[in-house]
Amino acid sequence: MAAVLMLLFAHAVVSAQECAFRITGTVTDDHFHPVTGAVVFLKSDASRGAATDTGGHFAITGICPGHVELVCRAVGFTAVSLHADINGNTPVQIILSAGANQLAQVFIKGRRVTDLRTVSSTELRGLEKFRTAGSTLGEALKSLPGLNAINNGPTISKPVIHGLHSNRVLILNNGVRQEGQQWGSEHAPEIDPFVANEISVVKGAASVRYGADAVGGVVLLNPDPLPEYKGISGNAYLVGQSNGRMGTVSGTLQGRTDSNGLQWRVQGTAKRAGNFRTPGYYLKNTGMEETDFSAQLGYHRKGFSLGAFYSYFHTRNGIFEGSHAGNITDLTAAISRSRPLTESVFSYDIGRSYQNVNHGLAKLNGSYQFANESRIEVTAARQGDLREEYDISLPYTNDPTLLSKPQVSFKLITHSAEVVYHTGTHRRFATDVGISGNTQGNVFRGIRYLIPNFRTYSGGAFAVERYEKDRLLLEAGLRYDYRWQRVYQRDTRTLDVYSTTLTFANPSGTVGASWHFTDKLQVSGNIGTAWRAPSVNELYIHGVHFSDATYQDGDSTLRAERALNASLTVKYDARKLRGTIDVYRNHIGNYIYETPQAQPVTLLSGTFPAFRFTQDNVVISGLDGALQYDLFSSVTLQSRATLVRGYNKTADNWLIYMPADRYEHSVVFNLHQWHFMDEPYISVENVTVLHQSRAPQGLDYAAPPPGYSLFNAGVGFRSDIGKKQVRFDFTVANITDKPYRDYLDRFRYYADNIGINFIIKTKLSF
Amino acid sequence: MKKSAIAIITASFILLWSACKKEEQNVDPPAPDNEVITTVRLIAVNAADATDVDTAQWRDLTPNDGNPDLSLANLKLKAGAVYNMSLTFLDETKDPAEDITEEIHERSIYHLICYEPSSGLGITVQRTDYDDNTPKLELGLEAKATTTSAASGTLQVSLHHQPSGKNGTDCAIGSTDAEVTFNVTVE
Repeated sequence: MAAVLMLLFAHAVVSAQECAFRITGTVTDDHFHPVTGAVVFLKSDASRGAATDTGGHFAITGICPGHVELVCRAVGFTAVSLHADINGNTPVQIILSAGANQLAQVFIKGRRVTDLRTVSSTELRGLEKFRTAGSTLGEALKSLPGLNAINNGPTISKPVIHGLHSNRVLILNNGVRQEGQQWGSEHAPEIDPFVANEISVVKGAASVRYGADAVGGVVLLNPDPLPEYKGISGNAYLVGQSNGRMGTVSGTLQGRTDSNGLQWRVQGTAKRAGNFRTPGYYLKNTGMEETDFSAQLGYHRKGFSLGAFYSYFHTRNGIFEGSHAGNITDLTAAISRSRPLTESVFSYDIGRSYQNVNHGLAKLNGSYQFANESRIEVTAARQGDLREEYDISLPYTNDPTLLSKPQVSFKLITHSAEVVYHTGTHRRFATDVGISGNTQGNVFRGIRYLIPNFRTYSGGAFAVERYEKDRLLLEAGLRYDYRWQRVYQRDTRTLDVYSTTLTFANPSGTVGASWHFTDKLQVSGNIGTAWRAPSVNELYIHGVHFSDATYQDGDSTLRAERALNASLTVKYDARKLRGTIDVYRNHIGNYIYETPQAQPVTLLSGTFPAFRFTQDNVVISGLDGALQYDLFSSVTLQSRATLVRGYNKTADNWLIYMPADRYEHSVVFNLHQWHFMDEPYISVENVTVLHQSRAPQGLDYAAPPPGYSLFNAGVGFRSDIGKKQVRFDFTVANITDKPYRDYLDRFRYYADNIGINFIIKTKLSF
Repeated sequence: MKKSAIAIITASFILLWSACKKEEQNVDPPAPDNEVITTVRLIAVNAADATDVDTAQWRDLTPNDGNPDLSLANLKLKAGAVYNMSLTFLDETKDPAEDITEEIHERSIYHLICYEPSSGLGITVQRTDYDDNTPKLELGLEAKATTTSAASGTLQVSLHHQPSGKNGTDCAIGSTDAEVTFNVTVE
């Protein structure tokens, strides 16, 4: 029996050079219930060990720097072992589970969750991550406290952190900033969530470590460490859902040539869906297809390690036919209909309009650990992003090559490099310093003009200092960024190419503290800044944006946005009651948004409301809460809340498109074992989203929709077949087939959200 | 090992700087064969008197900036008469101007033209031509306007692209490719 485990190794911190480090952590079962009386000790020295208390906590002191193997034993579970490279106090989370033994060996070297430890953060992992298999990144993350998703129908979804999204949320794929066309609300992140077993989210301004754009937060997808032992292992996912008749397969194979040899992993995902169905009708042309793969190589010897990573993402997404509008007359007509005009049936065909997106990322990294425990890491990456949009309205021409071309295409190539030096811990102080740089070239092609071409060069340098003593952690950091941008465009009358150059320079900083009042209660506070240069569309867009039938005008005099974010996190972790509360206030100066103009624009294709990008000072504040209470040993109650308030102080008005209050409550009935099933569960969940009453008047085409309340239910278990392990989950979402519309879904103007959905997920690990 | 680290740093910066192909400096000219509609021309001929002809024109030679030339967008009709109207769509950014009406004819099964007089103008407009659907549905490049008494107002003419669901009468289907308004005086 026994053993999936997971480690929360934040950054190694603290202590002197001799054997004075601590390994602290918690031992839980699969449902994050603490395991009492589990014994954790060093394999090399069984006297260095500790037993967990009723909250599942343990602490082992007097640990020497270097490699250790930890063993964890508990009644009802089989012993597991894990490896760690110790170069500071190391927090660890061990998740024991009834299951096959072959997953017992998990190595944690180089594992990092977040590099800023006093900013509030949250993770999607383990069973919860498995239960999101097959979802887009935005949908998978929206159940986390503090997060929402902004949608363009069922297949295009983007994560929203504390009310902010798109260019204000940074995504890191295996440590590399994801660079795509994030500025459009219908431009979903070009990333396969199966690439990582665990997704971490930094909630709040974090530019100090991650650079520009981390105004709302950062989403980090880090693949598991490569296997340390000779042999081949892997997993396979199979997910089917009734709505859209969507099927997803994903698999991973990994291994090591011998115990000192080359480590490798290959992973791939394929996904297909047809037209989705609302309660009452199908949504025409909402199918999608996606194929992704990634490959990783690693080699390490003594203090030296080298890695290579490549990932490729491709998707083709149909755009709901009822959402196409030629001008404002079409749009208001579509909004006034209670259901779309064109009836539809189920089909996998994807016709115009659709989006075709390709993203490739190649990364090389190396690190060297010096004898004094300091470490240098070097990373270089190249990514290419190609986005093509094919409209249903064809140009008036008979030229077949022109008819088969996308109406607009964007090609963005990014080269980036980063060097980070970790000093290791000396007299309780640890320092990280680093420099990073990147250059981007964007090429726009289109039958009509939308945004210009550009080239940017950016560079930054940062330092983060940490002090940790017993129950106290202090953290402070500084960063300076510089960005040069040259835009190339053609004069509409003379057709001459001309260029415009802009530069931006910004310091950013962070200070934070964390205090463990007791083993159960931890309080953290952080004040951090972030900045974002105006994006090229905000500066130079000029023309009709067809997805929302508006005439948009950029403003080339816009200045950089600056965020000052304060957050306070209280974590309580006891035997029966566990919870986290985050409160925050994010003040954003020069916040860029579109404001309507008094005069609409008259074009030959009709009248369009005109919007111009402008900037004001805004405040976004809110509260995220997550509570878990064990009513009985087999019954757990869970509640989560995400509350966001966004206000424009300059204009004295609410901010548009801020998430409505969202509550999730669930009852989970779970057992340790039942017949052949390990840790079977039944869960019933209610998701309630209130009406957004705090929206500006007159800036939206339709008033925010009424609130809604949905019920979901699921059953699942894990089981062993020989040396293999199977996970199974069956979920029914929107059980009552309730028609509803969500304020953050662009399709709410045209159609209801999707109805009842039966979803089966299986995972085989071997 | 330190040398290797330095080598990687050097290599990555070489990669970084050598990588710029400056492709972004080649800004694409506007697609040469792409036809934009710059001009909508409406010709009205009195069915009883072929010498009574009036032409109205809505034109915007810089189609992206919202500055149309409306100096000719006026139509004068006689009261109590019947007019045969015909529409022409042009791309005058080309020399000679491209006649887009032909392409609308070729893809008539996906198109519908709608006429909407302002209330009180006292004219009715009926489409008189048909597309290539089976059975044939109304198209609207040709129409018949019947005037009653003297009045003034506007006539909105719109071209709708209806790749699915065209029924020959409903203008709300599909999306709008052109929508222009003429000033009309009936005297």
